[in-house]
Amino acid sequence: MTEAEVEDKRITLAEAAKMVPNGSEIFWGGFGFQRAPIAFAHELTRQKKRHLNIQTCGSEVDLEIMCGAGVADKFEIAFTAIEALGLSNNARRRVAEGKLQVEDYSNLAMAMRFLGGSLNVPFMPIRSLMGTDMARLARFKGDKKLEIIDCPFTGEKICLVPSVKPDYSIVHVQRVDMTGNAQIDGIVGEDIEGSRCGNKLIVLAEELIDEEEIRTNPDQTKIPAMYVDHVVILPYTAHPMMCHNYYDYDLEHLQMFHKLTRTEEGWQEYLDTYILGVESHSEYLEKIGWENLNKLKAKKPWGY
Amino acid sequence: MVEYSKIEFLVACASSHVRDGEAVFGGTGMPLLAALLAKESHAPNANLISEAGFIDARPREVPLSVADTRYYYGCSAAIGLIETLGFILQGGRIDVGFLGAAQIDEYGNLNTTYIGPFEKPLVKLPGSGGGNDIASSAKRLIIMMTHDKRKFVKKLDYFTSPGHLEGPGSREKWSLVGGGPEVVITDMCQMGFDPESLKIRLMSVHPGFTVQDVLDNVMFDLIVPEDVPITSEPTQEQIDIMHKLDPKGIYLGKGG
Repeated sequence: MTEAEVEDKRITLAEAAKMVPNGSEIFWGGFGFQRAPIAFAHELTRQKKRHLNIQTCGSEVDLEIMCGAGVADKFEIAFTAIEALGLSNNARRRVAEGKLQVEDYSNLAMAMRFLGGSLNVPFMPIRSLMGTDMARLARFKGDKKLEIIDCPFTGEKICLVPSVKPDYSIVHVQRVDMTGNAQIDGIVGEDIEGSRCGNKLIVLAEELIDEEEIRTNPDQTKIPAMYVDHVVILPYTAHPMMCHNYYDYDLEHLQMFHKLTRTEEGWQEYLDTYILGVESHSEYLEKIGWENLNKLKAKKPWGY
Repeated sequence: MVEYSKIEFLVACASSHVRDGEAVFGGTGMPLLAALLAKESHAPNANLISEAGFIDARPREVPLSVADTRYYYGCSAAIGLIETLGFILQGGRIDVGFLGAAQIDEYGNLNTTYIGPFEKPLVKLPGSGGGNDIASSAKRLIIMMTHDKRKFVKKLDYFTSPGHLEGPGSREKWSLVGGGPEVVITDMCQMGFDPESLKIRLMSVHPGFTVQDVLDNVMFDLIVPEDVPITSEPTQEQIDIMHKLDPKGIYLGKGG
């Protein structure tokens, strides 16, 4: 038997962000506080990317960073806030200034748009949005935002939402092998659909594991290597958000972030200190401090 | 006499509307506490579901996010969003959804998206999240809000989630799966819906408030029935359970 040649898809965070052209549409992985690709948002900011359109169900600190730093000027989303902590202050300011356009959908609508893109069909039918302003009012999507029709089979009203095929999908997972087999612990949110709908998929992972480990627990592989173009191995990718079984959210940092973003000056201070003031993710982690990061490490059996 | 804050009253009141064995969308904040309180008291078999993918959850600490790992340990399945909002909710399997809002109109329609005109919003609010999906497809809706006159409006700045839309026949017209809002609970009163017009109707006022207080604090014509009872107070047991669920006062400490 000849030894199969194994492709190594690993690249650096800087190389991965560099691939994303200005003006790209991006599926953004993670859900709520879970597995947010914060480090990727930092790197896009350091590389001064512009005019990105971020497509996701709901993201929080990462969306605040990207609209706050002027990296993204369009969102196709269902939700942005820091949940229990309060409103998204940067998004609120950028919308009021006219510098951020938000096309509003619901969570199910966005998840189904990603599913449609993954299935290679132009739209998906849903039973949400009908009768509301989300169906009546649109921004940059215009009359391509959605369509309500009488079902050709049953005659009932049904809402069609257009599928999404973004230029890039960015997904953060717990473990990956170098060929791209990616394992997610805990909930997947909309990352199954989101990882399959993009033209290119970049997977960020906390930990590199051997292919033998993948083949030992194949049911944990939520994204098979065949979908994956590039892999970035990076610990604490989601800080100050959480990564199931790896680390908890950094509540003190989150509260500081949320407080600072209440003013433009405060946000600029955060941006200069934690994002532009460091050259790399490892420098960011040094700034947070390993003593602090170690305290966030997940404890068995809780996963946080 | 039992001592309680306004938030504790609101949570206890909302929890009483959950029946044993029901499938409930909990979310975070006050609605989550209400669902957990129901599970710890009169509805131990309630199935608490978070839209991020947690099913039959029994968190030992209050989650700060619908995707918080605190939802994971002890739940019976952890899947994803198409499962919860698609197969379970749109599939017609959710009995109760809890929602809050920045604005509500007389038909129980909700705004969680913008304050000010759509063209030039003054305040960007969180948006629908799963709210529109839940309002469209849950069998019943329980709406929880702190009472502020500016929230009870004649016309919403933005219509995010459907209540009874324009009244009788509206939900049927759009083939919505769910039954719409059943009760609106504030820190001042409980409101239901008039079965004929599907407009908001006062149900009970909380101790310390009068019908006139409520009328002074809504901007639409509230239907007031002849008999408006006083809402029953929470029990000491309910207060104790709430403090056990949220010992750090993450949700109970806010706005009380």
